[in-house]
Amino acid sequence: MNAAGNATRNAPGALRDAAAIATENLTRRFGELVAVRDVNLRVAAGQFFGFLGPNGAGKSTTIKMLTGLLAPSSGRIEILRLDFARQPVDVKRQIGVVPEGLALFGRLTGAEYLTFVGRMYGLDRETTAKRTGELLEFMQLADQPKKLVTDYSHGMQKKLALAAAVIHGPKILFLDEPFEGVDAIAAGTLKAMLQRMITRGATIFLTSHVLEIVERLCSHVAIIHRGQLVAQGSLDELRAGVEAQAGTDAGELTGSGKLTLEEIFLHTVGGTRSAEPELSWLG
Amino acid sequence: MAGLTLAGQTGQLAAIAQVRWFIFTHSLRTTKGALELFSRIVIAVAITGGGLGGAILLGIAAWYFVSEGKPDGLALLLWPVFLFWQLFPVMASALTETMDSSDLVRFPLSYRAYVAVRLVYGALDPATVLGCLWLTGMTLGIGWAQPRLLPWAVVVLLVFAAVNMLLTQMVFAWVERWLAQRRTREIFAVLFFLAMVGLQLIGPMLSRYGDRSNATFHKVGQIASPVQAVLPPGIAARTLASGATGRNAAAVAFLAGLVLYAVGILRVLGVRLRAQYRGESLSEVSRDALPLKGRTGIRQGWDVPGLPGPVMAVIEKELRYLSRSGPMLLTFVTPIIMLVVFGIGGRAGNGGGFLQRWPELALPVGAGYALLLLSNLIYNNFGADGGGVQFFLASPASFRSVVVGKNLAHMGVLLAEVVVLGFGVSLLFRRPSALAMGTTVAGLLFAAPINLAVGNLLSLYSPKKIEFGTFGRQRASQMTVLASFVLQIAVFGVGGLTIFAARYYGRPWLAVVVFLGLAAVALAGYVFVLGRVDRLALGRREVLMEELCR
Repeated sequence: MNAAGNATRNAPGALRDAAAIATENLTRRFGELVAVRDVNLRVAAGQFFGFLGPNGAGKSTTIKMLTGLLAPSSGRIEILRLDFARQPVDVKRQIGVVPEGLALFGRLTGAEYLTFVGRMYGLDRETTAKRTGELLEFMQLADQPKKLVTDYSHGMQKKLALAAAVIHGPKILFLDEPFEGVDAIAAGTLKAMLQRMITRGATIFLTSHVLEIVERLCSHVAIIHRGQLVAQGSLDELRAGVEAQAGTDAGELTGSGKLTLEEIFLHTVGGTRSAEPELSWLG
Repeated sequence: MAGLTLAGQTGQLAAIAQVRWFIFTHSLRTTKGALELFSRIVIAVAITGGGLGGAILLGIAAWYFVSEGKPDGLALLLWPVFLFWQLFPVMASALTETMDSSDLVRFPLSYRAYVAVRLVYGALDPATVLGCLWLTGMTLGIGWAQPRLLPWAVVVLLVFAAVNMLLTQMVFAWVERWLAQRRTREIFAVLFFLAMVGLQLIGPMLSRYGDRSNATFHKVGQIASPVQAVLPPGIAARTLASGATGRNAAAVAFLAGLVLYAVGILRVLGVRLRAQYRGESLSEVSRDALPLKGRTGIRQGWDVPGLPGPVMAVIEKELRYLSRSGPMLLTFVTPIIMLVVFGIGGRAGNGGGFLQRWPELALPVGAGYALLLLSNLIYNNFGADGGGVQFFLASPASFRSVVVGKNLAHMGVLLAEVVVLGFGVSLLFRRPSALAMGTTVAGLLFAAPINLAVGNLLSLYSPKKIEFGTFGRQRASQMTVLASFVLQIAVFGVGGLTIFAARYYGRPWLAVVVFLGLAAVALAGYVFVLGRVDRLALGRREVLMEELCR
């Protein structure tokens, strides 16, 4: 753990008191490979939390464990102070998930899919129908009522998956790469909904490779690298940590002013490559 | 790709074969993969056994017709081979594996190479393997009877095999196209319904005209004979007959006719293949997908008093899925087609067919066949859900309620099918007696829970992603296919034995009692498995996601 990580990891008041999401030594092994090792996450209620890491760092494995899609090899997960291993159904009732593969049912229409999801979360038929209509309208999916989900564009599928994740009014929303492959218009719709949820007190946990969006949306960030949590805290805390580790201020590090999240990220995971091989055959 | 050399195209085909080989060898790294291989070997041995047995019988029959100077009789052998070749892939789609063209079209593969790959995949179909073995048997039989006819037999039966192989692929490709979109699906359904009604009228008409039926069949035979003679099996037989009697010019002309069939079928198939090659998507995009002016109200989900919301939601989802899957709908009407075939076939024969002799068994046999076809779904419950299985795992609804919903939906389909079969039996044979209905219901109460229990287990232990909208894709893993075969043999063996024993001892109602006793045991087994589904699903969630979220 580098300086940025240390600054927040040793923060007083620790863990579960106000944490919406807390993990303790969360570990997942796949045979010999340790995909996630001893991760201790703390996400306070109401935070917009970004979970970052290079490809293969363990982001998706972690989010799968946090949402019950994957069993941890060891360690604990508490969601809203509920032990996930002991009370999985109670936890699932209070969270919404947009997993990596979106988990859609392609041969239903958007309305049928949302109706199905609402009922699976225990909503009554009237409420489900009302919310389905509102969500389709909000996500601008209402004008093609007979179109099957399989025929939706990627952006439309993302919007539908998000609509399904929030139909039951979850307290925590887990999003795995919600902005991947989404155009600017659809991204704007998604962001508007997420901001609205945050102002109403929900907690959002998202993974993304689009660091500009994370920087703009998230108040707090954690960085995972090779399965280990290497930094966690508010953006200012992470910035201060990087500067402290470098023994200088941002102006000297960047030549401009404030460190961007991308610069923090690259500094934390060591993103520069030495001795780039020459691909002489490439146009 | 115009610029690609022949060597380049060969390299592409080699690369495709190599990728398939890598996928196969990598699959052996897991226990499931090894079991799959074992299942494939067992199924291959069974198919080879059937193929060799059939080849010997057909070889002897061909030898008899040629050596007795009755080569026209070869048509009697070629027609069953032809019908089997075309019908088996529909009846046993679990064994049929066709290529998903979307995997290939993103590569710079030439159209010819694409067609070659599709045709090679078609040749790996069990129906093709069996058909080829049987034709080989016939070729040897003909050569044995008349050695100088052997080269003719080789050429003619090779072309005949090509016609069969191409025709199967053509029918699949076009039916898939027609069933993919709502409008063509509806037209197809109406045509099918009219054909069914037409066929069902034959039964009552023949009953009405009674003794005159033989004369009628004689007339029908007179009309059918020249018709069959210009169809591929008839032409193949005439080519061989001409060759056997030294009428070489006629033989060449008939062979040219057969080749024309092959070319024609290839051209019609080519229309579909070219569309697929260009990247066609058989989606539901149609006028329904066009934006509507103004909002339409959102309908509430289905509701049945007493059933929990999640269970009802799953039932609704399953039935909507099935109703949008042309191939599945076609599978469900197959028992009715078979009933019609057996009904009419029975009437056509001199002494009547199996069901004609024992019409009491028509309903139980039809219902058993319907359950057998439904096992395609039951044994791979989550296959069509694909990535959606993640939702089941992440939602607060118990996996048990998901499984119960699916099981109830499938049983609803079975029940509807049995009712339709009941009407079919009434039209084709006679109204099922109370005993026949009792035997059917009791038999299903025994067979269905066993199939559901084993199906639920196999769905968790050996899932396989399937695409509901496509026709003829492999519907379950080989392990599932093998396990279901074994179970069906056991269940139908017990069922058949019970009915036979009860009838033998003159107490047919005893079968109902035995079935009800067995049903109690089967139901207990089903409940036992259901009680463990949540725990099993939790333990198998990684396998489920790995297999279904590809």
